[in-house]
Amino acid sequence: MGMITNLMAQQTIWRLPEESRALFATLIVAGAFVLILGLIPVLQTLPPRGRRAIIVTVTFLAGLFFAAEFFLPVDWTAIFPKDDPKRNFLTPAIQPAQNVLQIIGALALGLGTFGLVRLHLRNAVQKRPQWGYSIVLLVSFVVMATLSILNTLAEKEIVERGPVLERAFSILFDYTLVQLDAAMFSLIAFYIFSAAYRAFRIRSVEASILMFTAMLVMIGVVPLGAQISPALPTIANWVLAQLNAPAQRAIEFGVGIGGLAMAIRLWLSLERGVT
Amino acid sequence: MLSVDRRWLYLILFVNIVIFLLAPLRMPASISPPVQKFYDEIEKLQPGDLVMISSNWSASTLAENQPQLEAVITHLMRKQARFTIISIEAQSRDISYRLAERITKEKGYQYGEQWAHFGFVPNLAVAIKGMVTDLPNTIKQDVRGIEVTKLPVVQGVKSLSDYKMIIDVTPSGTVPVWISYSPKNVKILYCPTSVMAAEAYTYLDSGQIKGMITGAKGAQEYEQLLGIKGLGAPFANTISFSHLLIIFFILLGNFAMLMNRLQARREA
Amino acid sequence: MSYQHAQDNWFAAIIIGFIALAVLVNIWRARRGKELYIRRIPGLDAIDEAIGRSTELGRPVTMIPGLTDFGVVAVQALTIFKYITKQIARFATPMRLLCGNPTVFAVAQEAIADAYNEAGRPDLYDPDNVRFLSDRQFAFASGVAGLIQRERVAANFMFGEFFAESLIFAETGNMVGAIQIAGTISFTQVPFFVAACDYTIIGDEFYATSAYLSREPVLLGSLVGQDIAKLLFALTTLGGVIAASIAGTDAPIIKLLGQPGGWEAFWNSVLGGGGQ
Repeated sequence: MGMITNLMAQQTIWRLPEESRALFATLIVAGAFVLILGLIPVLQTLPPRGRRAIIVTVTFLAGLFFAAEFFLPVDWTAIFPKDDPKRNFLTPAIQPAQNVLQIIGALALGLGTFGLVRLHLRNAVQKRPQWGYSIVLLVSFVVMATLSILNTLAEKEIVERGPVLERAFSILFDYTLVQLDAAMFSLIAFYIFSAAYRAFRIRSVEASILMFTAMLVMIGVVPLGAQISPALPTIANWVLAQLNAPAQRAIEFGVGIGGLAMAIRLWLSLERGVT
Repeated sequence: MLSVDRRWLYLILFVNIVIFLLAPLRMPASISPPVQKFYDEIEKLQPGDLVMISSNWSASTLAENQPQLEAVITHLMRKQARFTIISIEAQSRDISYRLAERITKEKGYQYGEQWAHFGFVPNLAVAIKGMVTDLPNTIKQDVRGIEVTKLPVVQGVKSLSDYKMIIDVTPSGTVPVWISYSPKNVKILYCPTSVMAAEAYTYLDSGQIKGMITGAKGAQEYEQLLGIKGLGAPFANTISFSHLLIIFFILLGNFAMLMNRLQARREA
Repeated sequence: MSYQHAQDNWFAAIIIGFIALAVLVNIWRARRGKELYIRRIPGLDAIDEAIGRSTELGRPVTMIPGLTDFGVVAVQALTIFKYITKQIARFATPMRLLCGNPTVFAVAQEAIADAYNEAGRPDLYDPDNVRFLSDRQFAFASGVAGLIQRERVAANFMFGEFFAESLIFAETGNMVGAIQIAGTISFTQVPFFVAACDYTIIGDEFYATSAYLSREPVLLGSLVGQDIAKLLFALTTLGGVIAASIAGTDAPIIKLLGQPGGWEAFWNSVLGGGGQ
């Protein structure tokens, strides 16, 4: 017990000892594998109620960690004099926990990419309709992935950055991907034009108020508005600050409370929706 | 008129944009209160004050965010402030680094001495929390691979609290994260795209952000205050006439709808 | 000091506790059989109409959970899509669920498979109908737009957190004549959805959707708890407006509740005889 409080006081309970870091890390990863591989048959043999109990417990403990870290007082110097008064004993574990979440995200990316490639390979092999586009996707995927990996290795000076790699990556990234991104974003300007032309009609009193306010703000926020009349920018700023902001605040309150309620339901496994 | 093929609308808008982008017409902007506040806050900086710039935009929002970032860096250099740049998107890391390098070279600002780029961080909330407690151990090295502890620009800096100001240049909703997790003694300024500006007025009103430059038009106002020529003005002027065109077509569409209704009533 | 822990601002922490209490108490009440009312939301009533239209036309339904990372918003979106899929399974309507986040994709596959199982039609589930397109915003947008155009979808459901790509989805759906229902917590994208979609669900109506569709007591109870919390916020705002109008914004009582710095600042201002 004394050793544990000592480790907590020195905040080293969340850090592996420097000298034997590699050994401890290997042991932890191997242990995690064994645990997971052992857990799968256990979960399969358990009845549904037992499975649910394990899932509910793990979910609760995982959420409890973050909630406890937030709510526990930070100034523990009365108990642990060497402690930093800006954090409690759980705070150093937040970063490793977030790292774990990012690693899971990266694994999921592999899963998603596998699904995508499998779908388009099947399209191409079975010559389903528009299989040509699947070939284009697969070729682009392989070429871009190869060049990106080589480029990253070259940045870290693991491989040499030759002129071919530099030129090829530049063509694909700077001159293709970046420009395509910009082009897709530019579509929004045209789409809002057709959407506004179609949607802003005087169908009711509310629609009319919406339309005229939108037009006032549109012309007031651009330099042309100030040229037409100095009152237009003032009106536009007033609408944004005095009408838009309170409405925005009200919606944000509702969204924030709704999000919190949903998070509580998920944490306490009261939400049955997805799982 | 009501069932006009939308491709005609797109063509008209495209021609409008091209004409006014190329035309030499330049209208002065009226300075809006958020931009004036933004300018005044940076004017209060003393030589040597440290500023964090969060640059998260990529090529898609270049027209709005690039003039903002260029003007901000120019103003900071004018005030002889030190600044560091951080990005949460890989593409924005490269874009902001190259842009900052170009502008600082022109004005004689030295990398490592007066400015630095901390590179890409994948999770903003975690990065801010880490920087608040221990910045050198959170960032570790800059975009060039130099250890942060060896950079003169952040010599002696232990935490985000040592900064005077955070400037968030972004097309996404990252400013609530900065507001939530950054130290309260550090001021926050915001440079969003026009679409994101609407939801920032609540923070401006409550004083959680001290100033805001909105899109290309905000960049034009800021350039006007600084007395520099940048990309904000031509873009803002083009946007002006595009807005005018959209308003014209909205009114035209409503006129056509009213004519239709009158005709239907007459026939009935 | 930043708000990294409850101690930095105990007032905010107490408010969080109150909201949690309101939600849990009302969930308990609902479970005990209390009848709870939820008002009509037109956009959600139109879901069945949209699915019916797709079935008649023989064209697919698309579901898009946005680009959000896996979290509360994504879970809510998938819950809604699971309900929609159960309705779709009754009519054997083709569907496509297009994901822009790989973690959401992994969960979505399981959720949709479950939906078909619960509807008694596991044979209709095709894993290729749940697709991960790309996690890059505009690559995802172009993939979705292309699919909507090629397959000429008849109904398009967009629920989740959206950014600039929202209008690309909505306008493309409009071009092919799809009936579109969108629900988002992203305030800045609401105007685009309102302009281009048939029905838009705004703000916390998005979180109310699962309660509305399923009428489960737990969800309805939670909704009532949320409304009580909102009422508290409204009353606090009103009280603050009156107090600030009478006493001015520098009054100790105003500063007391909004002061950063934790419990120490509270006691100092009370015992010290004034605000900071």
